[in-house]
Amino acid sequence: MNESGTQLLARLEARRCLKDIEPRLFAEDEGPRHGEVVELCGAEGTGKTELLYHLLCRCVLPEAAGGLEVDALFVDTDYSLDMLRLVSILDSRLSSAGLEEAALRSSLSRLLVVHCSSSSQLLLTLHYLETTLNSRPSLALLLIDSISAFYWLDRCEGGASISRQEEKLSKCAELLGRLLRDYKFTIFATCHTIRRSCSGLAASRSSTLEADRPYLCRPWQRLVTHRVLCSRQEAENHTAGGSREEKRQVFRVHCSSSSSRTKASRISSFCVTDAGVQFI
Amino acid sequence: MVGLQEGMCPGLDGGLLRSLLAADVKTVEDLVSSDLEEVAQKCSVSYKALYAIRRVLLAQHTAFPVSGADLYDELLSSTAIISTGNPSLDKLLDSGLYTGEVTELSGGPGSGKSQVCFGVAVHVSHQLKQRVIYIDTTGGLTASRLLEMLQSETSDRDEQMEALQRIHVFRLFDAYSLRDRLSTLRSGGLLQASGGGSVKAVIVDSVSAVISPLLGGKQNEGMSLMIQAALALKTMAKDFGVAVLVTNHVTRGGRGEVQPGLGASWSHIPRSRILLERTDRAPSGCSSTLRSATLIKSSRQPCLIKEELDLQWWSRSERRSSGKRKRDEADS
Repeated sequence: MNESGTQLLARLEARRCLKDIEPRLFAEDEGPRHGEVVELCGAEGTGKTELLYHLLCRCVLPEAAGGLEVDALFVDTDYSLDMLRLVSILDSRLSSAGLEEAALRSSLSRLLVVHCSSSSQLLLTLHYLETTLNSRPSLALLLIDSISAFYWLDRCEGGASISRQEEKLSKCAELLGRLLRDYKFTIFATCHTIRRSCSGLAASRSSTLEADRPYLCRPWQRLVTHRVLCSRQEAENHTAGGSREEKRQVFRVHCSSSSSRTKASRISSFCVTDAGVQFI
Repeated sequence: MVGLQEGMCPGLDGGLLRSLLAADVKTVEDLVSSDLEEVAQKCSVSYKALYAIRRVLLAQHTAFPVSGADLYDELLSSTAIISTGNPSLDKLLDSGLYTGEVTELSGGPGSGKSQVCFGVAVHVSHQLKQRVIYIDTTGGLTASRLLEMLQSETSDRDEQMEALQRIHVFRLFDAYSLRDRLSTLRSGGLLQASGGGSVKAVIVDSVSAVISPLLGGKQNEGMSLMIQAALALKTMAKDFGVAVLVTNHVTRGGRGEVQPGLGASWSHIPRSRILLERTDRAPSGCSSTLRSATLIKSSRQPCLIKEELDLQWWSRSERRSSGKRKRDEADS
């Protein structure tokens, strides 16, 4: 395969390592390194998208506001990107660091957004991604929200054979694996749960485990090195600045890293404010 | 999967197409993901020609990345907030239904979901003078009820007729027609259906009535239909800048709490979700029209805030409500 000089440089030059993207989320020194994939799973309303916005803001903000100043590509498969919410989080973080309007524009220009409406289009877009990676050496993060959006459509299209059902997502996963090896960026992907965990009196641990069990195809599961399980805790009472007591929704994340080095896990909690995710 | 066809792009003529099919490259995805050198050898074509075809096909079928700044500017200029007409509901939804998003209203039987949909349709068509597409799958929509609601807003016959004309109703009673109708609307039929005017709201009452009979069991077609309808609604909302309101039934969860139906896969689709319930308290004789609405999912407001709605006076405009109250007091 022949490649030009710029392509060679873009491939070999190390992209920014995102190990320190969120030390409160990952276990000690277990942040995602080059070529690793983090999967955020959880039911609806457990804060996955908010966490994604938090990580995205951390990447694109300038260093003066506590960011890493790297480019990021957001692949939106189910039209769930709320730009207005993202901009309000960026705005509040920039204003607390004392920077003005121009910094917001430059942060937003580091973000690229792509909408995909089917898994075939996702596959073709990932092929096109190679061109984007060549032309932007500072692109260090790929966010996919969500990788499970076409799960039921693929299953129905594939008919009775499971291999045909999983064919498209397997091809996407294999392609992503090759791109990760060649270009060494990091991927964060959300995956929705498809089964409700019944949390009644008769519920045992096994039913919650079943709800969180990975259900996507094997090539994707092999690619995932860190798995973050999000869940919602009971809203607790919390005294705000004055004496008024208000209920605050607390979210719990359990992050388990299973890369080749070690197996580690960590549990942390956060709540969502106007300025985004705040770890407790 | 898009099949390869003759004339799809310059350079893809009949002879090349036949040799590609013989080499088991039948779709665009196959061509793009295959090793071009190998295919070039098998079909005895030049690598350069294949590479050029691959580049053109990729450009035709991929989605292109948009910069965040451009996307934000576009959103600022195209997002609008459609007031629902009821101030308590507006407060719950952070001033109204946002265009480009799907909002879900769930509740048990008799909780007032259809009444809320009627109120929104009447408000959008009469006060905001915009067109509404109303997809009725339960048969609960009657023009006489809409007329009654309009008569409480204005007494001018012409205005009432004009407002009724702006509401376009489609009646469907199975999931396949729902999916087909939504696909037609999405691929340009929206303008045709509304007779050339600007549509600002699409109301589907209710999604669960046609989809839930197909869910469950071992077949996947029901789930696939649900996701296809959901994607069509979301794409329509984003591309045409409309606010989508859907209704859903409720089921009981593991702890006996009331939760919206259609399962975990549907729960990710709407951006905001409201649960409607009858209130327990019974003030002097008006208990039948009071409902409590709880916000169970929102990206803008803290969750679980409640508001009370009175279904009898939808818009509660100052002038009208004070006038009516005086008349009622005079009667009683």
